[in-house]
This record gives sequence, C-alpha cells and structure tokens, in this order.
Amino acid sequence: MLVLTRKVGERIRIGDDVTVQVLEVRGGQVRLGLSAPAEVRIFREEIFLAIEGQNHGAQLADPAQLADAAAVWEAYADGKRS
Amino acid sequence: MASVAEETVVPGASVPDVIHVRSSRFGELEVPADRVLHFPQGLIGFPRARRFVILDHRPGSPFKWMLCLEQPDLAFAVAEPAQMVPDYEAPLALAARTLGTDPADVALFVIVTIPSDPTAMTVNLMAPVVVDVRTRRSRQLVLEDGRCDPSYRVCSPRPESGVAAAES
Repeated sequence: MLVLTRKVGERIRIGDDVTVQVLEVRGGQVRLGLSAPAEVRIFREEIFLAIEGQNHGAQLADPAQLADAAAVWEAYADGKRS
Repeated sequence: MASVAEETVVPGASVPDVIHVRSSRFGELEVPADRVLHFPQGLIGFPRARRFVILDHRPGSPFKWMLCLEQPDLAFAVAEPAQMVPDYEAPLALAARTLGTDPADVALFVIVTIPSDPTAMTVNLMAPVVVDVRTRRSRQLVLEDGRCDPSYRVCSPRPESGVAAAES
C-alpha cells in the first residue's frame, strides 16, 4: 500500500482525472472531497461490500428459481387483491 | 453520440443482428443485437460482466431474466418495481443524470434475491439497474441516502393466509 501524508487542504491525484482533497480533520474523522468523472464509481467501502454481497447472493443457480418466485408473487398479489 | 453499432459497421460487410448464447444452465438462446445492454463498469462485484440482456419471464409478469452474455451461466432475476413495491420512488432523475439522458428514457429494474423459500424473496431497492433505452447504456445505481432497503421483502409475511395456503 502506498502511504502519503497530507495536510488539510492538500490533494492527491489518482490518474489524470481523480482528485482527493483532505477537507477537515477532527477527532478521529477525516472529511475528504473527491472529484472524478461520472463513470468512476465512488462508494464508502461498507456500501460497496453490502451491494457486492447482495449481487453475489442474487445469482440464479437454476432457472426454476425465477419461475417459482414469479408464481409465488402472483399468488401473493392475487391474495392481496381479493 | 454514435451508437456502438454505427461505429463498428464495415461498408459491405453484413452486420450480425443476432447473438447466440449457449448456457449450460439456461439453455441456448438467440438475442437480437439491438436488445443488448452495455454496462461499461459491469455490475458491482462482477466488473467484467458488461453485456446483458433482459428478457420477459411471461407477458404481464413483473419478473424478467437478466442474462450475462460474456458469462452465460451468470443470470439474475430482476423485476419492475412498480407493482411489487407500491411506495418505491424510482430515482429516475438521478438515473438520468448518471446516464446522461432524459428521465423519460430511463428503464429501471430491481434485482431479486430468491432464497430456498421463495416467499422470503427480497428486492434490492438500494442498487437498481438503470438503462438508457435509447443507447442501452446501463449501470447499477447505488442510492446512499439510507432510505432504500437493499433487501426489501416483497411478500410481507401474513401468517394466517400463508399457513392456510400451504396446507390446502
């Protein structure tokens, strides 16, 4: 891992078009400002991991899963309407 | 913006209009090239899964198949949330800004997680799949405002009718 020390207000460049700026340091917290092109996705790591885990868990192992779920949904929706 | 198809046309050459997909799990299908969705960043956790197709399960059903063309054994169930999640406010304006298009051209699907008991299925309202229907550029959008449930249970438990249905 590359380790850099920066003061408040200083920046780091990643590649040509990503900038990370240290905005504020207070207590145990650091506020960062990030600038990047729209196609670069930026997430807090815990959000990324949560969605990644959700996506992995959503892979279909068998086409019957979808057909079963659709049938369950239809029965549920019919029950709600009646 | 020129579409991918226009950029790759070679004069005099025939343009393949159907993509053949062979999957050990999902069988063989022919996908019209103009139905292919392009995810330049892949799906979260699947960065190399960049081309998908979304196919109807049955007419009128909110469920769809989302099949990956690069990895034919990778598939998801997705759904149109309008019927399933009545109070969901689809983030069409944010999706349109992210995709660089107009909200009227955005299609939005939620990914369904189907556990062994399908009545406990959930949909991911926090990270919907959004598609610019004109260019078919697509992306998994992440809503970080904390209001959208990544595992929203679609069939809320109703013990009395659920038990009766299971026993009848």
